[in-house]
Amino acid sequence: MTLLIPLLILLPLFVGLGIFLAGNRGKALVGAAVCSAGLVLVMSLMLVAQVYSLGGVSESQGPSGATIVPRLSFAPDWLQVHLPVSVGGHVVRWKLQFGADGIGALMVLLTGIVGLVTMSLATIQIKERLPQYLALMLISQSMLLGVFLSMDLLSFYLFFEAVLLPLVLLINGWGKNSEALHASRKFLLFTLVGSVPMVLGLIGLALNSAAADRDSTVSLPALSAIASTGQLAAVGSGVIDSASAMSIIVARDQWIVWLLLLGFGIKLAILPLHTWLPTTYAVSHPNTTAFIASVVAKLGVFGILRIVIPLAPVALSSSAQWLFGGLGALAIVYGALVALSQTDLRRVLAYSSLSHVGFITLGLMAMNTEGLTGAAIQMFNHGIITCGMFLMLAMIEQRRGELSLADQDRGLAAAYPKLGVMMVFFTLAGAGLPGLNGFVGEILAMTGMIRVSGFFTGIAVLGTVLGAWYGLRIVQRILFGSDGERAGKVSVGLTADIQTGEYLPLVAMAAVCLFIGLRPQDIITLIEKDIARIVRVSEPSVKATHPDMDELVAQSKP
Amino acid sequence: MAPAITLILGGSIVMAASLVLRQGVARNVHEQRTLVASVSIALLAIAAFLGLMRVTPPDLGQGLFRFDEIALAAERLSLLGGLILVLMSWSTAPKANLGEYYGCLLIIIGAIPVVGASNDLVSLFLGLELISIPTYILLGITKGDNAGAEATIKYFLLSAFASCFFLLGLSYLYGFAGSTNLQVIQTEYATGGKLVSFALVLVMCGLAFRITAVPFHFYAPDVFEGASLTLAGIMSYLPKVAGFVALIRVLGTGVGPEATAVVVPVLFVCSAITMLVGNFMASAQSNLRRMLAYSSVAHTGYLLLALTALLRQNAEPDVLFSYLAAYAAMTLGFFACLGEIEAAGGKTQLIGDLSGMFYRRPAASIGMTVCLISLIGLPLTAGFWAKFLVFMGTIAAGTRDPWSIAMAVLMAFNAVIAAGYYWRVLSKLFEKSDAYVPLRVFRPSLFVAYTICVVLTLVWFFVPAVM
Repeated sequence: MTLLIPLLILLPLFVGLGIFLAGNRGKALVGAAVCSAGLVLVMSLMLVAQVYSLGGVSESQGPSGATIVPRLSFAPDWLQVHLPVSVGGHVVRWKLQFGADGIGALMVLLTGIVGLVTMSLATIQIKERLPQYLALMLISQSMLLGVFLSMDLLSFYLFFEAVLLPLVLLINGWGKNSEALHASRKFLLFTLVGSVPMVLGLIGLALNSAAADRDSTVSLPALSAIASTGQLAAVGSGVIDSASAMSIIVARDQWIVWLLLLGFGIKLAILPLHTWLPTTYAVSHPNTTAFIASVVAKLGVFGILRIVIPLAPVALSSSAQWLFGGLGALAIVYGALVALSQTDLRRVLAYSSLSHVGFITLGLMAMNTEGLTGAAIQMFNHGIITCGMFLMLAMIEQRRGELSLADQDRGLAAAYPKLGVMMVFFTLAGAGLPGLNGFVGEILAMTGMIRVSGFFTGIAVLGTVLGAWYGLRIVQRILFGSDGERAGKVSVGLTADIQTGEYLPLVAMAAVCLFIGLRPQDIITLIEKDIARIVRVSEPSVKATHPDMDELVAQSKP
Repeated sequence: MAPAITLILGGSIVMAASLVLRQGVARNVHEQRTLVASVSIALLAIAAFLGLMRVTPPDLGQGLFRFDEIALAAERLSLLGGLILVLMSWSTAPKANLGEYYGCLLIIIGAIPVVGASNDLVSLFLGLELISIPTYILLGITKGDNAGAEATIKYFLLSAFASCFFLLGLSYLYGFAGSTNLQVIQTEYATGGKLVSFALVLVMCGLAFRITAVPFHFYAPDVFEGASLTLAGIMSYLPKVAGFVALIRVLGTGVGPEATAVVVPVLFVCSAITMLVGNFMASAQSNLRRMLAYSSVAHTGYLLLALTALLRQNAEPDVLFSYLAAYAAMTLGFFACLGEIEAAGGKTQLIGDLSGMFYRRPAASIGMTVCLISLIGLPLTAGFWAKFLVFMGTIAAGTRDPWSIAMAVLMAFNAVIAAGYYWRVLSKLFEKSDAYVPLRVFRPSLFVAYTICVVLTLVWFFVPAVM
């Protein structure tokens, strides 16, 4: 039982609400907001440190066979929901609980870093209604932390849904005037199309857990224990003769998996469901986009990793694994190609984000140790890199106005040398240069996928080439090259190179990139136990449904 | 029976009060409004007190009335809605007919517990007619213009028509079971065949009118548009409660396997069409009142789905009551906010009229925002649990029953369509507009009404058990 978890969730929430209630009281509120974002980062670092030091937690914690085991937990007895219904003869009395395992802690850290960086830069970049902006950021940060720290289906869903409102307000209130309303409506409706049916899937999971001798539960450790024993028994140590038991489970879980994947897939912007993403990213303020692209877009990945794979691996591998893996691979190439053809820098970055999330999907759908580790790490890495890119976009726009890759803006590196350095750095990290963090996640994700499908991996490799291409295109067009028509013409706002206040967060994030790129074992140690637990269930089910997996590996052996 | 008797007797006395209330030039309208409304609230308080004081015997008996959980829940729902509606009427009741207005309102509020407690076909029908007849009067006296008259006539004729269906169904039930006692009838359901199904479908047709289910919904948009805002609030809530309580009473906790096989698909189809028609028509409206009317139709669709869960014994009647309570808070709250804006001199006929209302009337706009979020069904509001419970009850059977899952998915998509048009209203509220004229007239009663609703909407999210 630790108080760190409720503090992490409640502090930004209360500060955010407090700022709203205080109204327009000037600068003091801004300071308070940034300070509390800093506190959140400190607390998330503490959380990560504690989780890290508890890495060797014994398996005995939590119900036996559980694939989700929080190392720190907060589950007081009063935190329960008593619904006025009894379903199937069982009274619904669900205990809510919060907790952090390695994957959750990693995402908490990402939220802490991105929150502090975006909010501190917002003080420079946002001109109007700054306190309200920061308040909304804090509230959405709190909701996101709630998602990452929740250890039951219900609070997971509540926070997942609740994050929508502050985000819609952020997009609507600070976006491009003419299109903001349209974009925020699109965002709202798209997300709801996924998340309202998703609740059915979650209820289905909870109700599946009810049996003659126990009431239904929403606790993830308990559910995962039930799921893993049931599914492992059905899979029967990799032999397919238990097909009948498996088909029962598949029939029971399949609709749940599809509904959940619809919800998470929309958040993830999986290919045919991605159209909200470019609109949202291009319309909202780049500072908001940095936050949405780096943390909010990870909710879908996190949900699949936390709920779908541990709780319904058999149904997932038998139905949606190929489709989602294929869509992920396709998204890598499609995103990269569209990014190459766009001229609006915001849209270029939006599609590049789409392409990078494809790698994460690919890793997830491999459902083995390498793939899941890669996906989890790439979730973090992509968050940092995208955040950096969008923040720099905001800085450039502040200096030059609307930016396009067509001919007007060139040779910015000469005017803003420091910005140029950082831009090159983050572009290379995004392109997956070895030694930087993007490489670690992508190579792991592809290693995982190649065990399952060589074809999809081939497509993904093609994507990395395209990724380097459009990344370098940005650098070449904007930073270098001869001066364009508007060279020397300073449009708006600041004229000088980035100030220390803008430089420091970028350097800090670059240091994180470099650290993970050079020493990935720390971050892998943080999550490997959790991944290993999940893989214990997920890999046998993949093997059982796709017996020909690992054929490339088998061929390469003498 | 004490609360219902208090309200019905009190309502009759209040109705007679217009004989003694002074008319003409010397009349002090304001004082009279306060007097009549205070008397009504006092009556509601007495009724609530009597309801609390009631001691239910362990054996509920077989008589005309039966005070089980359903009766108590219906009573609570009607008193809660009644309080909000009386507050809303305080400044909006027609000044020419104050006594009649409040009298009718109180009788309707008192008649719902009668429906809820009735254990006999006769008392059930009596309760329902006790609701219908004052409703005709209310519709007739609040607006004197042509639209109002049209709404009244439409409602009257359709209501009489629906009552015929209902009575026909009841007669079959009686003919089949040989008794008008509902408990006797319900024990006979298990043995019944097609006749029971036919009777039940007829009963449902009759009640479909009150709950504005498609295809008996045609009057709703006209009535909502023609009537005053408060009356639209009354029409969207009280008949719906009565209708659903009556349905629960007749259907009991299950109607036997053979009848279920007929009734549940009928309910599925009815619910699906009701949701779809309600939501698609609502999305197409630019008139706020008509939009609300169709949205009320859509909510009926969700409630019908909950009713199927009840019939398959996957859920308890509490699911419906929770939904109705949340619905009361959010819909009546929304009407109260609109009423306040109208009382303060704003227009509320079209959605566009609300443009920039946040800058003109912040308090009411925040109230509307909460109610709209609840209507969409997002967390932090009671509307979330309402939908959640319906979902839960519907899919409780799991894959043994794929049709229920399909219906739940359909309802989920409907909820998203609904989010689209609610969001349109919501974004209008915060739109920057040039007409920056603050509305400054303050109506305490309406303010209290929507504050209660908003607080309940928010509080029920955190303690869903008391809903």
